[in-house]
Amino acid sequence: MDALEFIALNLFNEVSILIGLITAIGLILQRKPVEDVVGGAIRATVGIIILFIGVEVFTGGLASFQAIVASAVGLDPPESTNSLDGFLGERGSDVALVITLGFVAHLLLVRLLRTRYVYLTGHLLFWMALVITASLVQVFGDLERWQLVLVGSVVAACYWTVQPLFIAPMMRKVIKSDDWGYAHTSSSVAWLGGKLAPLVGDPARHDVEQVRMPRRLSFFKDVTVSTALVIGLIMVVGVAFADSQVAEAQADAYNPDVNPWVWAVIAALRFAAGIAILLYGVRMFLAEIVPAFTGISEKAIPGSRPALDAPTVFPVAPSAVMLGFVSTTATFLILMGVFAAAGWFVLVPPMIMLFFVGGGAAVFGNAFGGWRGAVLAGAITGVTLAFGQWLGWNLLSDTAPELATLADPDWYLMILLLLGLGELFSGLGDNAVLLTGAVVVAIFGVWVWLLKRLQGRAGDGMAESETDESASDAPRER
Amino acid sequence: MSPAPNRPLTVLTVCGVGMGSSLILKMNAEKALKSLGVDASVEHTDVSSARGMKADVAIAQGLHTDELGSVAPVVLSISNFMDVDGLRRQLDEALRAQGWLE
Repeated sequence: MDALEFIALNLFNEVSILIGLITAIGLILQRKPVEDVVGGAIRATVGIIILFIGVEVFTGGLASFQAIVASAVGLDPPESTNSLDGFLGERGSDVALVITLGFVAHLLLVRLLRTRYVYLTGHLLFWMALVITASLVQVFGDLERWQLVLVGSVVAACYWTVQPLFIAPMMRKVIKSDDWGYAHTSSSVAWLGGKLAPLVGDPARHDVEQVRMPRRLSFFKDVTVSTALVIGLIMVVGVAFADSQVAEAQADAYNPDVNPWVWAVIAALRFAAGIAILLYGVRMFLAEIVPAFTGISEKAIPGSRPALDAPTVFPVAPSAVMLGFVSTTATFLILMGVFAAAGWFVLVPPMIMLFFVGGGAAVFGNAFGGWRGAVLAGAITGVTLAFGQWLGWNLLSDTAPELATLADPDWYLMILLLLGLGELFSGLGDNAVLLTGAVVVAIFGVWVWLLKRLQGRAGDGMAESETDESASDAPRER
Repeated sequence: MSPAPNRPLTVLTVCGVGMGSSLILKMNAEKALKSLGVDASVEHTDVSSARGMKADVAIAQGLHTDELGSVAPVVLSISNFMDVDGLRRQLDEALRAQGWLE
């Protein structure tokens, strides 16, 4: 009993060590030589530790930003009773288990339901697992670990299975082939952008290549640069309007000798640095885990297709990406002003999401409505991210509110779904979480069934289907 | 700048944040290099970090190749992330041009 307790407390409660163990198992399963197993496990473990350090820096930067902007516009900074690094400390190892068991369950679903697409966007395996875990803890509080991990992994597996499937008909039009699927939590706005784009434009008449994007914009593609610039600009303007005592206090906390104006710039740079560190950590552990996942899925599900990250569609229409980014950012910044003027909430421009989600959605918008479609899809993204951030922050305020500022559109839908169901079943005591899981499975089950019927009818079964109601005359690459 | 004959090539795959597509690209580049019989170590990263690194070959989509500066003497631009054969052809041609592949 003592030994089990020791293992539970010291191995399974320490997320970095748990991830290291999972990586080692994955590498051993692939029969890697011992130096690769040891090296990979250590890199993954250190990656998680770096991630935590980055989250700390990011969370601190976020708090400064909110304090200054809130004071400048006369609002109270958003409140919360927990923070992302606190939550990762408490429940991080549960997140690690949700990723692993959820991915295994996802592979089983793809194999059994023949849904074709294996979700391989590694960082979204991590973030979606984190969002689901946070939502479940937020609504059900002190859950038993097995319940949290069981329901969390099942919900995650359902999402990873359905998301590439529902967007697949559109994706085949966008990339004009079926080599890979789209696995990104921007799928809801990409889909909406694609559906609404024909109302505003035509892909042939309003070809995005007619639009010349200024060369100067190109450095914005580097999200570290654009984050530092945009946040820095807002910080400096913020300090100009903020209560001077608030600015002094914030600057003093960093270094009493530094002038508040200079501090504003440094704070923005540290904010960007926090995100860069956080991403570096994620990158480091994913580099070890994703190849293991890929190896397993290639063996377990022959004939499946990988579903991949948003930038894999960027080469289809690079101008649409830039146009979408500009449109998303402009929309978001306007709404930031509106939110401040109305006294609603302090929004934080999430440059990574403005670029990748806005860019991805714009490629879909462009495929169905030319440059006008791309601009519309970008605007839809900006609106979704602004309102989602406001909503998400309040909904996750007891767990990890910072997830709302780093979030993609599908995250908000997942938070709403889980919190909504949790609220609905709140009177049922201990079993409410299991019922929530069961309802999510039912919803996604019906969805898969409908999708397979619709997509199967249009073509000759899933494998050959050139689906969607308006069949494209673009040549298929095989 | 020619690599020593008995040193593995260093290859860098790059994308915007260095997490998703560059990792897929890394795995495909490893496949392509293996089938060419080239001994290489492949790393993946984001644009910002890449600029501070050195490699023999850098691989990225066209959106980012301009930003890469002088990271590597050979910079390949790819448009289809899953096209291992295409990448193999690009690598084959570029490595031969440098005299790194007989």
